[in-house]
Amino acid sequence: MTDDPPPNPALLPAGLHDLLPPEAETEAASVAALMDGFASHGYQRVKPPLLEFEDSLLAASGAAMSDQTFRLMDPDTRRMMAVRADMTPQVARIATTRLAHAPRPLRLSYAGQCLRVQGGQTAPDRQIAQAGIELIGHDSPEADAEIVLVGVAALHAVGLTRISIDLTLPLLVPTLLDESGFTGEARARLARALDRKDAAAVTERAGPLAATLTDLLLAAGAADGALAALAAAALTPGARAHADRLAATVAAIRARAPGLKLTIDPVEFRGLRYHTGVCMTFYAPDRHLELGRGGRYICGETEPATGLTLFPDAVLLAAPRREARRRLYVPLNTAPAAAAALRAQGWATVGGLDPAADPFAAARLAGCTHLLDGIAPVALQPE
Amino acid sequence: MTIAFPDAAFAPATDTPLILALPKGRILKECAPLLARAGIHRSPDWPHPSWENEDSRHLRFPTDDPRLDVVRVRSFDVATFVAFGAAHIGICGNDVLMEFDYPEIYAPLDLGIGACRVSVAEPRATSGSDDPREWSRVRVASKYPNIARRHFASRGVQAEIVHLNGAMELAPALGLTRLIVDLVATGSTLKANGLVETEVIAKVTSRLIVNRTALKTQPEAIGAWIARFRAALQA
Repeated sequence: MTDDPPPNPALLPAGLHDLLPPEAETEAASVAALMDGFASHGYQRVKPPLLEFEDSLLAASGAAMSDQTFRLMDPDTRRMMAVRADMTPQVARIATTRLAHAPRPLRLSYAGQCLRVQGGQTAPDRQIAQAGIELIGHDSPEADAEIVLVGVAALHAVGLTRISIDLTLPLLVPTLLDESGFTGEARARLARALDRKDAAAVTERAGPLAATLTDLLLAAGAADGALAALAAAALTPGARAHADRLAATVAAIRARAPGLKLTIDPVEFRGLRYHTGVCMTFYAPDRHLELGRGGRYICGETEPATGLTLFPDAVLLAAPRREARRRLYVPLNTAPAAAAALRAQGWATVGGLDPAADPFAAARLAGCTHLLDGIAPVALQPE
Repeated sequence: MTIAFPDAAFAPATDTPLILALPKGRILKECAPLLARAGIHRSPDWPHPSWENEDSRHLRFPTDDPRLDVVRVRSFDVATFVAFGAAHIGICGNDVLMEFDYPEIYAPLDLGIGACRVSVAEPRATSGSDDPREWSRVRVASKYPNIARRHFASRGVQAEIVHLNGAMELAPALGLTRLIVDLVATGSTLKANGLVETEVIAKVTSRLIVNRTALKTQPEAIGAWIARFRAALQA
């Protein structure tokens, strides 16, 4: 028997945390603002459940999250259920089943919490909020551009005006390697070197592709320079098709938002493994945060789709602080109509439950900034 | 679909200096000429010893470029600072990169300095006494637990790692482990302790590393530094 002290009840499992006032309210408000931004561009909301049967949740595009998914047994059916680690596969399932008959292109939005088995090396969170959109049934640069611009508009609605968007082609490098005859371990080792932008290892492992890949590696940066490098690079036909599509997408975005800060990383193929076309990552440059990710994928078996998931937790950190609702102390026995009128003006009213000898002290104790003194709010003097 | 964005949406990022993380010790001395060729010099307004002086108690140093500051940390910490974005660029050996395997770090340049290797070594006495192909489990002392574990795992051998921070060469003699995985430069320390190098896991040189998010969000500034280091290498 050891006498270890009992665990502190405040301790939560790694990667999980409580949100307290006022952040919890701010979070809900910013998710609402993001969703409102999506809705105003015609994206209709769906709400899939937290849990699904494992075989449907992890089918098709869901398979990429298989090793990050919590599972439990359904005592009812004895089938394995899985907690969603990403909502996109759920929305794709809805689009291909219950909404299979709905006209295309289908524009859907969603918001919810996801759970992952393990946090990342630099971001330990295991519960991840997502708010996103999917545009299903249209394969065009215009659709790619719409997703980017609706994302920008939604972030703008929560006050995030400085955004930098990185565009990538997750299949460019794999296609180039396949078409150039790389297979097996040599291919895996080269792909890894490219993933880490390890120029020395790329030169050593890429053989005849070394010059092309090194040029592309160094081209990561502002969109125009990277597109020029892609245009000049000696690409195989399949890889060339991917590069052309990226150029068309950039043109479509530029036509709608000429000043948007765009970067391109031609060799990056990181991210969720289900992506098949132009992908994007949204950054808040001065906060060093990833605000969201998205890209083109195949919905169900064959349907082209693209989407974007914003991360409300990161958005909350990067967005300018919202002004908290002003709290007004309403002493016991105030006429209910007076408090209601002030609530209608945006005050949060905190009702007194006891007759207070010193209403100012009671107001301060209740975390209020103002006291309803007779008919008008009076600011509390700082102590 | 058209969306009107205010001009503020495209304002440049704030002008705080980039941070270059340099490792203490041997590599710091070796990279001094390279830093000079890349145009990184001590600030003339800094009254204290610069980063090259290992006795300096300061940890952060201004340079003659107001947009670049230097921090000096342990080589393992260079990777951590850069991975978390606390420093934007850094110099460290690929032994450290292999050990941590941070996906947030890019290594765009091989600086060709600090050459050595990560190797397996064992006492001369036991070397060759059995067939490593038959091993299912080994005990290894190392300051690179992940490199050692991965290396043996790829050969189908389970490695029990004893994580030490220094004086690995003592472990076999004192019966702690049979093998060690360590950095070998000349091999003289191994020899002095009766050990032989049996396998090279990886050749090591120092790399210029950059934080992935920094490269994506400040491509001009980070790209310019990569270009300056590349030019310095060719000079």
